[in-house]
Amino acid sequence: MSDNAAMGAKTWLTPFNVVTGAIIIIGLVLSVLRFTMGLGAVTNLTDDNAWGLWIGFDLLVGVALAAGGYVTSAAVYLLGMKKFHSAVRPAVLTGFLGYALVVFALSYDVGRPWRLPYPFIMQQGTTSLLFEVAGCVALYLTVLFLEFVPAAMEWLGLKKLRKLIVRLTLALTVLGVVLSTLHQSSLGAIFLIAPSKLHPLWYSSYLPVFFFISSIAAGLSMVIFESSLSHRYFADKMDEAHLRENEGVTLGFGKAASMVLAGYFIIKVMGVAGGDHWGLLGTPYGLWFLVELLGFVALPSLLYAVGVRNKDLTLIRWTAGWTVLGIVVNRLNISLVAFNWQLPSSQRYFPHWMEIATSVFIVTVGIVVFRFIVTRMPIFYEHPEYKDIH
Amino acid sequence: MDKGKYLIRLACIFIVSVVLIYGSSLYGSGRMAKDESRTRADFINIDGMASFGELEKPPVAFLHDAHTTALAKKNKDCSACHLTEKDRVMPKFKRIQDADRVSVMNVYHKECIACHGEMKVAGEKSGPVECDACHRADVRYTSSRQPMGFDLSLHSRHAEAQEKKCEQCHHEYDEKAKKLFYAKGKEGTCRYCHQDQTIDNRISMRLASHIACINCHSKTLAQKLDSGPVTCAGCHDPAAQGKIKKVSPIPRMERKQPDTALIRTVSEKDKADAGEKAQQNRMDRVPFDHQAHEKYNDTCRACHHAGLQPCSECHSLTGKKEGKNVSLEKAMHQVGTDESCLGCHEAKQKAPECAGCHAPMGAAVWKEDESCRKCHATRMPDAQAPLRPEHENALAAETLKNRKPLTGTYPEKDIPEKVVIGHLSKEYEPVDFPHRKIVNAIAAKIKDNKLAAYFHHEEGTLCQGCHHNSPVSKKPPQCGSCHGRVFDKTNPLKPGITGAYHQQCMGCHQEMGIQKPVGCTECHKEKKINKM
Amino acid sequence: MSISRRKFLGWIGAAGVGSTLGKSAFAGGGKHFEGHPDSFGVLHDTTLCVGCRSCEAACAKENALPVPDKPFTDLSVLQEKRRTSPTAYTVVNKFDIPGRKTPVFVKKQCNHCLEPACASVCFVRAFEKTAQGPVIYDESVCVGCRYCMVACPFEIPTYEYDKALEPRVMKCTMCHPRVMRGEVPACVEACPKEALIFGKREDLINIARDRIRKYPERYVDHIYGENEMGGTSWLYLSAVPFHEIGMREDLGVTPAPELTSGALSAVPVVVGLWPVFLMGLFAISKRKEAVSREEMEARVQSVSALAEAKLAAAMETAQKEKTAAVAKEVQKALESAAQSRTKEEI
Repeated sequence: MSDNAAMGAKTWLTPFNVVTGAIIIIGLVLSVLRFTMGLGAVTNLTDDNAWGLWIGFDLLVGVALAAGGYVTSAAVYLLGMKKFHSAVRPAVLTGFLGYALVVFALSYDVGRPWRLPYPFIMQQGTTSLLFEVAGCVALYLTVLFLEFVPAAMEWLGLKKLRKLIVRLTLALTVLGVVLSTLHQSSLGAIFLIAPSKLHPLWYSSYLPVFFFISSIAAGLSMVIFESSLSHRYFADKMDEAHLRENEGVTLGFGKAASMVLAGYFIIKVMGVAGGDHWGLLGTPYGLWFLVELLGFVALPSLLYAVGVRNKDLTLIRWTAGWTVLGIVVNRLNISLVAFNWQLPSSQRYFPHWMEIATSVFIVTVGIVVFRFIVTRMPIFYEHPEYKDIH
Repeated sequence: MDKGKYLIRLACIFIVSVVLIYGSSLYGSGRMAKDESRTRADFINIDGMASFGELEKPPVAFLHDAHTTALAKKNKDCSACHLTEKDRVMPKFKRIQDADRVSVMNVYHKECIACHGEMKVAGEKSGPVECDACHRADVRYTSSRQPMGFDLSLHSRHAEAQEKKCEQCHHEYDEKAKKLFYAKGKEGTCRYCHQDQTIDNRISMRLASHIACINCHSKTLAQKLDSGPVTCAGCHDPAAQGKIKKVSPIPRMERKQPDTALIRTVSEKDKADAGEKAQQNRMDRVPFDHQAHEKYNDTCRACHHAGLQPCSECHSLTGKKEGKNVSLEKAMHQVGTDESCLGCHEAKQKAPECAGCHAPMGAAVWKEDESCRKCHATRMPDAQAPLRPEHENALAAETLKNRKPLTGTYPEKDIPEKVVIGHLSKEYEPVDFPHRKIVNAIAAKIKDNKLAAYFHHEEGTLCQGCHHNSPVSKKPPQCGSCHGRVFDKTNPLKPGITGAYHQQCMGCHQEMGIQKPVGCTECHKEKKINKM
Repeated sequence: MSISRRKFLGWIGAAGVGSTLGKSAFAGGGKHFEGHPDSFGVLHDTTLCVGCRSCEAACAKENALPVPDKPFTDLSVLQEKRRTSPTAYTVVNKFDIPGRKTPVFVKKQCNHCLEPACASVCFVRAFEKTAQGPVIYDESVCVGCRYCMVACPFEIPTYEYDKALEPRVMKCTMCHPRVMRGEVPACVEACPKEALIFGKREDLINIARDRIRKYPERYVDHIYGENEMGGTSWLYLSAVPFHEIGMREDLGVTPAPELTSGALSAVPVVVGLWPVFLMGLFAISKRKEAVSREEMEARVQSVSALAEAKLAAAMETAQKEKTAAVAKEVQKALESAAQSRTKEEI
């Protein structure tokens, strides 16, 4: 008996647990600092740079990468592409956790997080696109929760409740796409208010469209990326359908991502043409814009196409990772790099190590919760009792 | 599979090369920007073809003095590059005039490149021979060339040197005979004929001055006599210009100009055109002290800007083409230009000793009709026949003699020595204002200023600098009589009393360039009570 | 789940009707807000400012801001360019302009725009453009998202980052309480040179124009704030071009809310039309499925019919062969029986 107990203790100290545990402990310490000493103690935010890494990465990147939820459920339930069905639950879970973490991170960034419900219960600033973002994110989080919760119900054995919620799938999917369109584009639109602060190559009246289209590509890539990681680390949790369909999902989503990225590339070029900003391409910022556009939009579009044509799953998976990185680059460019570009370098912002550590902490919490859920609930497999209606 | 890999490699190469191209162009431009711009007076932008149409390549930056020095070392003089016509060296490069685009281009290409090539072959350091080495897009030099002016001081030195032989420089042009000739008594400045651009065979001022001046200077130098400069920098470098010897006092120009003149308020032609029966109520004529005014400018052109004839010949009452449609009234009274009487007088008010009072007065305002009489002072006799010039000038001299300039203000006993300004003191002690000291200082500064002496027509006029917007008086009203506690919005240009004091005092100090007092407490000490 | 034609048409009709309800959203076209009538403003004549910082001192006193490290009489702080901070609603900056004997001083604070960006972007409406002119802040609803700081083109709002529990956005209030009492803002009252004057915005613009007309050489012919960002309540006059004294001239004349009104007006359209499109897609994909299912069934049926016919024919042939074989055997048996009988008789 003691041997078993000892063995039990040893299996807790996996490398993954140690690393994530350390990060979480640091994160908790930083959280205490943040909430007892204020934002100034843990961030490099200034009056000139009011939004930093937590908005640029945790909010903007987080929302963009959580877009896999609506993309996948739209593909499966609205366009009837049944061969992607196994990807729905993981995508919805990623989406749900992504948005939950966004709200979590937001509570670190705003000055008085306990007042986050105020726009709904106190005064509505309806002229503000942030109000629109807040409303849609709140509603969409609910939608994602309802889309995710059947898996939890299956785990808990709540048959009747589950049946009730599953009947809402179509409506939830439609609502999810509508809400996602609104808040993904509005996150771009919030920067429309500051043309004097955002570099002209990134500022465009089409910012909402850019954000929305890139979120589709982000979602598709994130599903491929997440599934490739899951297949590596959680393959033992996957059922036969899941394993079989994976290639189809990768190829199918890769094809879609290639086309979406190509379209995104074209409209970004139109944006430059529309403002007649060709001359700016020769400046240092222009060079960086070209790196983002050619290296992280055009290149992955091409690589996806090549990978799909040659059925090269490895290439598609690497491209998905690269595209995810590209979305990070794009969102950080708009919120941190090209924003306040007109200020002298002494007034520019770079995140404090504590901000970076907090973001890492938040992502780690997400990964840990993801692992908890997929190792217990029917995400990667179908619960034998519920192999029914689809 | 291979095709895919090939495509990927192609894509990567494309991207890398784009990055490199852009990066290198940035690197290059960044480096260039670090070079200091070199400022030279001999910097010439060769764009002779520009008059024939748009240039295909950037103009060529040419350093003239550098070339003359280099050629001098090889015992070559101006004739190495410049042709001679009628015993005079012509300033254009290896040609007398610009015929057409291609011939100008060929001249430069042939001669420059040939010479450079020869020197290179001989193993000497020389200029470039490749296209883009001369036609550079990035301009690495800036011109510090200051225009060279020929003022009265230089003119008198030249007149001395030429033993008053005016024909050496002055000429007129006979249209019919198409020849230059000397017209005695009609000498004027070169610029009356030679304008900025060459028009037909009337060469530009630039050409004319270089031909005339440099040729004469080099000939004189060749005779081992003291002469003016022949290099670009010698005339056009600002430092060199500062070193030019100035004659003082400048002897009066001998051009038989009048000492005093009676300025017409209507031209004879306009009067004749109007006819005998027409009303002849013209403004009284203006007696003008020409001799005194000669000393106020360093050229005659300041007033005689287009010719030495009377102003009313070009500027008719309603304006005509010769006078660029500027009417006579405007020509005399327009402020903001240097050629008009009032324009020059107003500019003089900007001097520090005047600006303290005159700057706050704003744009010239003609308040009372009295001010017209200051200048329009000579009533002509009723006889219609025009007077002879010498009688006119005598009449002018007479009026001028009877003028009474005023150089001071009220006697000292009438000027309070100290004024205590104390009715606002909340945070500060009252101000002990050294009233008489300041009045005396101002009066002393303008004592010798004839303009001030003439226009400050009463003893109390000087007081009006501060005691403004009230009748001239020995006991002007207190500032608080008109300036309320806070600014009055029905009278927006009138500040409240605090603003009035600070704007008046500090404004005057700023305009006059007075450094002290500095800060708040030098004028009024802080009240001790406020120190908490 | 299949959808009938009737239902589909019904939904489209509902969506169409739904999108006609409500007010039409003019994306900021045609209307120009010139400010509340009779609202106040301040005219700052920078040619009069001498950088004495009395305005900063009066502001700090009026708003009970903490005393700074360097007192307000210390003019050495003017060596560096400063911006507003949580403890300084307003700052004076010095600009040495080449060619001018004396430096230019400019007071910087919230410009109280006619259509403020901060009010437009605040999602809890913590900012209000009052009818009197000042733009005021309500800290009782502020969540601290700091979008106002991102949105302000003049970079004015500041945030109390060092407070954990009650951080506020800090900016000039144009002394709204004083204005309501009929007084002038503290800075205006304190300025000894009357470089700041307070009054109705229309009057101030006329005053500024008068000054420019009377002293054309003293001023640049432009009133900053007359049209910038749709117009501000704080107006400026200057002797030198405004970009030389730290004021941006590239902000344009579009009021801030117009920059986002287009995107906002798209929201109801998306809400109205997306469900229609998506359900349309769903219907199409379901229809495709149904059609392909029918086609498959039809094909299966025809194939099975063919198979059955083949089977029937084969069965018939087999039956015929069997009958023939049986008859042959019978014949054979009869013959052999006949043969054996014949053998017996002999």
